[in-house]
This record gives sequence, structure tokens and C-alpha cells, in this order.
Amino acid sequence: MAICTGCSLLCEDIEATIKDGNITAVKNLCRKGNGHYQALKTDRTKPMIDGKEVALDAAVSKAVEILKNSKNPLLCGWSNMTMEAQAAGILLARKLGATICDTSPTCQEDLMERIMDGKIPTCTLDDVRNFADTSVFWGSDPSNSHPRHLSRFSYYPRGEKRQKSYEEERICVTVDVRKSATATLCSNYYFRQPPGGDAEFAEAVLAVLDGKIPKVGDKKRMIELGTLLRKTEYGVIFPGPGMLLALQGKMDLFEKLVAKLNEITKFKVLPMPEHCNTRGYYQLMREQTGFINGVSLRGGAPAHGPEQRLAAAAKSCDAVLAVGSDPLAELPLATARALTRANVPLIAIDPHRSLTTDAAKVVIPSAMSGLEAGGTALRMDGVKIAFEPLIKPGKPDLLSDEQILARIMEAI
Amino acid sequence: MESTVESTVAIVTFRDIFQDEAGKKSKFADEFRTLAAQVLLDKQDMAKLGWKDGQKVMVKNDVGSVVVAARTSGDDPHPGLVWMTASPWSNQLLAEDYCAGEKPWAGITATLSPTEESVTQISEILQRMRA
Repeated sequence: MAICTGCSLLCEDIEATIKDGNITAVKNLCRKGNGHYQALKTDRTKPMIDGKEVALDAAVSKAVEILKNSKNPLLCGWSNMTMEAQAAGILLARKLGATICDTSPTCQEDLMERIMDGKIPTCTLDDVRNFADTSVFWGSDPSNSHPRHLSRFSYYPRGEKRQKSYEEERICVTVDVRKSATATLCSNYYFRQPPGGDAEFAEAVLAVLDGKIPKVGDKKRMIELGTLLRKTEYGVIFPGPGMLLALQGKMDLFEKLVAKLNEITKFKVLPMPEHCNTRGYYQLMREQTGFINGVSLRGGAPAHGPEQRLAAAAKSCDAVLAVGSDPLAELPLATARALTRANVPLIAIDPHRSLTTDAAKVVIPSAMSGLEAGGTALRMDGVKIAFEPLIKPGKPDLLSDEQILARIMEAI
Repeated sequence: MESTVESTVAIVTFRDIFQDEAGKKSKFADEFRTLAAQVLLDKQDMAKLGWKDGQKVMVKNDVGSVVVAARTSGDDPHPGLVWMTASPWSNQLLAEDYCAGEKPWAGITATLSPTEESVTQISEILQRMRA
């Protein structure tokens, strides 16, 4: 079986037929995974300096020169690559005294830290498949973001204690501003929220769990929801970006709600980062720097604070290395502008042409993790998934992210 | 939403599997632009504004502006609220501190107005970043 690194589900049941070193047929991919596999043949990068194609060695040497001359480099990206490459990146950041950041919304870090600290209980996706009878998609829409979530884990499969599955034993609830594809599926328990209304919704759920009349929402439906949550044997909340944005600064309230649910029954929380190895990056960063993201490794102890956030670091750095992400496509305009300042050389390591590679002074092509390069990654639930390269890279000199970072490190 | 040519709205971004698939293949292809450069409005709001599917609209706020195609969401009622996919187009309107952990986020405030201009190209977005 092959793996798909198209999202943080890291589906391991992909059946690929390979003939003469090429993938000729693939089964079990979702639409997003299909795009990921097709990307093997589309928009591949070439080594470039200032928009001109050069030899790979020249591009690597130029990157080394830029980083050597930098007094305050920023290394950003990291979430779409193996843990081995991420570890090589953290080593490089130490060597350079660089600031290291990923490009995920910072508001997901608070929840992730509470989960890693054990303040909020979590579980694996296998636990969800085997035991969950209520899945709450709060500000998340896996039908679009993680397309096989519902079929492999949270709604349709027949798990150990859920043999009657979605027909009788599983219920899904959605809490969202818009009636998403997932909300349409869970229409009996869809709770539409005004933008930013999630804190009031959390208060209302706490009220009904305490047997009080909620102050907001349709009271009858809120009481029905309270009854469902009380009857639940094993519930899981899947927070998405909508909820994390709306509850930023109010995560204590969410923690209180989860604690209340666990006084009554069993409820877990499983965040849904988008990129294939955001979880691995957070874990490695925490193990090696003490913080999950946004860390300066310039001398002494790792520093973490507002100045090390990507938005601020992008403005203060004097060179940028972007790898494992396309920050210019993902970040707000002001941060993207800061990363492309005229006097700040940008190095992009990427298998594909992106907004970042188009703006970069130096482009270093890399092998696609999971397809052309092996390694390990952490699924969204923290389960480690190891994978071998499925095929050899199309060009013999195409290196993995890990190999490129090791070469840069060696030269520095 | 008032029945005027220009409307003030709150934009909420979302993920779309079709756009994600297209973006994985190429962010520079027409397919990706067509799927990403859209704003989805409530059916009644579209009617009040007298807009048909595909109307080119300028979406503008203090951060920036983009021209995208207006479409009916099929998810009404959500008056005054519009949907855009999370993409380089919506990022042109996104405040730098939208996720700074200071206050709950309630969408991107912007105005919509009809325009004869073409839909913003990805190359223009890149030029604006580098300006």
C-alpha cells in the first residue's frame, strides 16, 4: 500500500500500480489526493537564480552564500515535509541562529499546546472509528478539507463498538457560520452561528448541560443538543479554523466546556491541521526548543514571543528560506510583502512552482515527500506514519528536502 | 444588505475540495483562478443587487482589493455575509493580525461593487506583493 501526503489524514490504503518507474493507476484517492498525485507531473521546479535556470549545485551554493551572509535569517514553512527534514531544518536554524516558523494560523497553537500538555483530552482517529458515537465538527468541514475523514474514521465506518455505524450508532453535529458540505450531511444537528458567535454558543451548551435555559440560539434545539451530548458514550470534537479564529483568546472557555462534558461522559478533542505534517513539526519543535512554533534560536536559550511570530519575523529578517509550504499563497498581504522586500533575498525549496518560487531569488527543486521521498510524518492525531518512496524522482539529481537541508548545513 | 450598488459585507473564508485539487496541480492554471476568484452571496442579496451569476465585482477594504466573480451560494439565508475560499485572492483582504489571539474574529469587512474590470490574475497578486 502507498500513502497519500495530500493532507494530515495521511491515508495509508492507497493502491498504486507502477510500471517502468511511473505510476500508471491509483485507487482510493480522494479528489484532493488525486490533485496531489497528479502534481507529480505538473509545474515541477528547476534550479534557478534570479529567474534563470542553473545547475543544482549552483543554486545550493547561492543559498549557502545568502544564509552565511545573513545576520537574522527566517526559516519558514515546514508543515508539508517529513519529520526527518523538519529535524534537519531545526538543526540548520540552530547553526544559523535563525527564527523558525510555520505558516499555519497562530490561533491553532493555543489548542494544540493544551492538548500536548494534557489539559484537553484527545484520542486517535482509530479510537474515533472504533468507539465514537457523536462527532462534533465545530468550524470544520472535513468533506472539503480532509475528504476521507468521514468515510475512514468519523461517520461511515463500522468500528469495533460501532458496527451499526451511521445508520444507527453514529451522529454528527456541525457548528458553523455556513452550511458546509459536512453540515448538509449532519443537517439534523446543524447549528448556524453568526461570525464570532462561537463563545456565546459554548456558553449556551454549558448552560444546557447544567440544566439551565440557554441565553442564545433556539432554546428547544439547544436543549435537544444537550440531551444528545448527555447520552453520548464517546464523543469527539473536531475543531476547525472557523472555531479557532472565533474563540481566539477564549480557549479557557472551550477547555471548561470539554471538562464539563467529561464530568458527564467521555469527550475528546482532535484538532484538524491542514498540511500533512503540521503535527510532526509542532511535536519536534516542542521537543527540541520547548515551544511548538515561532522560535528564535539566536544565541542562548530559544526565544518565543510576539517578535518571533511570522508576521513580525518577516519584517525584521534579512534573508528568508521557505521550505515545505507556499507562504506567499497562504499568508495575508502584509506578511507576504514583508517576505518579498527588495533587499531580503528569498530562497525557496519546493517540488512545485508556487507564488513563493516565482518571487524567490534562488529556487531549489525537491522530491515530493511520500511519493518520491520517504520518511515519517505525524497524522493529525499524532500517530506516526512511516513511508517509503513510491517511485524514484523523475530526475536523478532531484534531492529530498532532508538531503537539500543537509547539504546546506554541511556547506555552512 | 441594502439595495444599493455598493454593499458592505462580512467575508467568511472556507475550504473547497475542488479548488484544493486544482491548486495542488497548478496555482497558475485557469482552473485554479476560476475556482478561487469567486465571492458567494445569498440568493436574496444577489436579487436585491440585481446581479447575475458571474457578475464581476470589486471586493475592497483597508487592506487591499481584488476583482472576482459573484455567484449565488445555494446556502441561504445569510444576508450580508459572503463566502470566499481561503486563497491568494481572499488573502489580499486579510488583515495581518487576523489571528493574533487578541479578540474573536468575525470575518473580513469589505465592500462589493460591480466593475467592468477583469478578474484579478495570480500574476497581478504576485506583483502587488513585490511592489
